[in-house]
Amino acid sequence: MLEIAVGIILGCCALGAGAAMIAGIGPGIGEGNAVAKACEAIGRQPECKGDVTTTMLMGCAIAETTGLYALVIAILLIFVAPSRFVDILLTVIK
Amino acid sequence: MMKTDKTIIKETKYIAFCVAILSVLMQAVFLVLRLWSYKVLLSNLLIGATVIANFYFMGLGVQKAVAEDEKEAKKTIRTSQSIRTFFVFVMVVIGVTVPCFSIIATIIPLFFPRVAIALRPLWKERKSKEGTE
Repeated sequence: MLEIAVGIILGCCALGAGAAMIAGIGPGIGEGNAVAKACEAIGRQPECKGDVTTTMLMGCAIAETTGLYALVIAILLIFVAPSRFVDILLTVIK
Repeated sequence: MMKTDKTIIKETKYIAFCVAILSVLMQAVFLVLRLWSYKVLLSNLLIGATVIANFYFMGLGVQKAVAEDEKEAKKTIRTSQSIRTFFVFVMVVIGVTVPCFSIIATIIPLFFPRVAIALRPLWKERKSKEGTE
């Protein structure tokens, strides 16, 4: 019974980590679109290249933070949460 | 080899400066809470360097992408993002699994660039005031 409970915990943690990483798709698409539009803007007004690059860099960094949140949640679910949950389970059983 | 744009170097310097200040603040908070150990310092150094490198590589990716046409730019930036995310993932996994690093001190510095960008309007305002005086 205990093995099954531990297995369910590990499985749920892995599923949760996978689900969290779905959020990693967003920044890639968002950054791609932002850069594509920036290319268009620079093509229209080449003299604004510096300003456009600065704004876009900051925008990309902000977009990427969303992916990092997901990454942190996934890493915690894979490497930290299972042992804690199993400890809690064992304490409850004892 | 591609020459790095001045804007990217300037922005990376700003991010590195902010990450350094926030790292010192974090160490101070750990000291005050009596949680400080060499593990906190090592984790901070590892992830601080990782986030600065991540930002710099993002700048290089953007520089390469803006020189291409729209479709190619999208592909380039997506590839760059995937590789950088993997790089950050590997570094964080090292920080979380290797016993000589602290888990909390590994995760907190990941958000320093976001804080630096949030503080940027204040920095710009100060610079523009200095310029007018």
